[in-house]
Amino acid sequence: MTPIIEIKHLKTRFFTTDGVVKAVNDVSYSMENGEILGVVGESGCGKSVHALSIMQLIPDPPGKITNGEIIFEGRDLLKLSEKEMRKVRGRDIAMIFQDPMTSLNPVYTVGYQIVEALRLHNDMTKAEARKRAGELLALVGIPGAEERLDDYPHQFSGGMRQRAMIAMGLSCEPKLLIADEPTTALDVTIQAQIVDLVKKLQAELGMAIMWITHDLGVVAEMADRINVMYAGAIIETGKIRNIYKKTKHPYTMGLLGSLPRLDDPPGSELTAVPGLPPDLLALPKGCAFAARCAYRTEKCLAEKPPLVEIDGRDHAVACWHWEAIEGKKTK
Amino acid sequence: MTEINPEEITVTDFAVREHRSLWIDAWRRLISSRTARLGMFIVVLFVFSSTFAHYFLNYEPKKDLDYSLKLKPPTLVANEEVPSVHIFGTDKLGRDIFRRVVHGGWNSLRVGIVAVGISLFFGGLIGLFAGFYENIIMTRTERLILYGITGFVMGILTAWIAAQPFQPFLLAAVGIAAAYFNELYEGKAQRMLIFALLGAAVTAIPALLVSSTAALVCGIWGALTGALLSRPLDGRFFSNVIMRVMDIVLSFPGYLLAIAIVAFLGPGLEKGMIAIGVVGIPVYARLTRSAVLSVVQKEYILAAQSVGEGHGRIIFRHLTPNILSPIIVQTTMGLANAILSAAALGFLGLGAIPPEPEWGAMLGDSYRYLASGAWWAVLFPGLAIMLSVLGFNLLGDGLRDALDPKLRT
Repeated sequence: MTPIIEIKHLKTRFFTTDGVVKAVNDVSYSMENGEILGVVGESGCGKSVHALSIMQLIPDPPGKITNGEIIFEGRDLLKLSEKEMRKVRGRDIAMIFQDPMTSLNPVYTVGYQIVEALRLHNDMTKAEARKRAGELLALVGIPGAEERLDDYPHQFSGGMRQRAMIAMGLSCEPKLLIADEPTTALDVTIQAQIVDLVKKLQAELGMAIMWITHDLGVVAEMADRINVMYAGAIIETGKIRNIYKKTKHPYTMGLLGSLPRLDDPPGSELTAVPGLPPDLLALPKGCAFAARCAYRTEKCLAEKPPLVEIDGRDHAVACWHWEAIEGKKTK
Repeated sequence: MTEINPEEITVTDFAVREHRSLWIDAWRRLISSRTARLGMFIVVLFVFSSTFAHYFLNYEPKKDLDYSLKLKPPTLVANEEVPSVHIFGTDKLGRDIFRRVVHGGWNSLRVGIVAVGISLFFGGLIGLFAGFYENIIMTRTERLILYGITGFVMGILTAWIAAQPFQPFLLAAVGIAAAYFNELYEGKAQRMLIFALLGAAVTAIPALLVSSTAALVCGIWGALTGALLSRPLDGRFFSNVIMRVMDIVLSFPGYLLAIAIVAFLGPGLEKGMIAIGVVGIPVYARLTRSAVLSVVQKEYILAAQSVGEGHGRIIFRHLTPNILSPIIVQTTMGLANAILSAAALGFLGLGAIPPEPEWGAMLGDSYRYLASGAWWAVLFPGLAIMLSVLGFNLLGDGLRDALDPKLRT
């Protein structure tokens, strides 16, 4: 299978008055057609920034992509002009955002906004676009879709707005959909509905999806593969079974250990990953996770571990001691 | 127990509600406020009476003169002494004050609309672009335009000194060339040297035809321009420069600046409009920019970009409607302000030229007769100014409450 998108050595920096924030550090991976990739990590680990880098929507200044290649369908997106990039956005790669409360323009009807997105990339009359918009809203499961087209965003609930955003993202049938924490602002039942909806749509339309989240539970349900990010770099990546069952990186173990499980004995405490993520202004020389890691040695502090493949594309980890750690569980 | 047949249940269209836009909501809030209704009433009365008088009641100020009726007090019925009815009395030339107040309204309305129009158009555009490009990176074409405009604006000075109107175009061309060159060539010092020389050449050589002093001044300015153009300019630079210029304009007292502009342009109502309009530009520019800054970071702007919409579209279709409310309020208040400023200029003899009916000029004409008891000649134009300003201000207050319910106390 040929990868739909291949990211090589991506580096994104923010040049602030306090110094250079190293938001994305040498990220390389690829996604295949129709694959669902989960990107997990805690706040500020570069998940969203690396997604915005793909879309080239980094606020500039202060942000800048300083290095790397983003090969999408044989073209390097970073070499495209703004005008060509504009055609890629929405038509080939679409993005949905975290906060459905603010991602729809409050002064236009929902229908108008979907129609606009449709007409931007397709040669459609207003009537055709409106009909399609109605179909899209129905597709994402909004009751009375035709009728709701003329509603303003404030007349929609949070879950409905996120559905409308998904409809807008899907409007031009993109090959890659980037979902930036689309369920974080929603309550759990709505989260489950949105996850089911996206899974269903993925099966129907067959696009690749990058699902960015800090919730390992959500991606466990849907993703084929997972990238675990820490301090702007991928520290463990692989097939979902490998990540959950054959965890190699102590940080991933920590993340999994911090989730409640149904088979935990009652009254048992959740383990937390101690400490805070490193300051992206001054990253340590060695492993970025070393300061919080129970298994650290001198080598961890001195040298940065490379992302080594254990099982080909199916599993890779950036840790010096993964062989030693293997089998141990944090709890 | 009765069986329920699902097919018999009529589905009430619970999902169907009234499609109310924010503007309709705002309108309802506006008319529910008593003071706003009063303001609206005064404004409508003012606009209607002055427009009606202008188009349907002929008035020729130059022929309106009757010394026999000089400074007569207001009367409601005709008598032997005053054969015609003057409900507001007459002024020093025997002119009916009521008539002049009504016709003067047209002038005030015109001043208000034109002056605010000038401020709003230029100030609004400046604010929109400054706020937007401060946060969003310019595309290549936009950067070329920025370089061209920078060259052009810098060239206005040399064109003025050497009286050669083609110079701004030369410097604009240098700017565009610099934009291309900057992308290709890395060496900073050489770049600066090349363009300083080029700038000096295109300005100084034509200026030599005028005089050597002009050539020297133009050459220095041209070199500075070239050096500036050799640097990477971006939206932040544009925003900084233009907003500091706005700050400078704003640091002058408004009336003083308006008087200075009128003195430069010469008296007359039209010149007054321009002066008042120019003085108002920074207010709108700053207001618009601050509103843009608060909206441009919102996720729906990012979403619009991620769908692939262009900058022009985002500015005018997504940003503008979302920042309209503070601007509408400011515009309404600004109308009151412009009417007041026009009256002030008229009072000082810098606005409307005499027989033309204008409230400020009428006050200026008549205040000397106050001591001899002719209170009516001052009271009624004064009242007209006060009421129209009050009307616009009340309406503006009402609009502010209606458009931004969060501000309501």
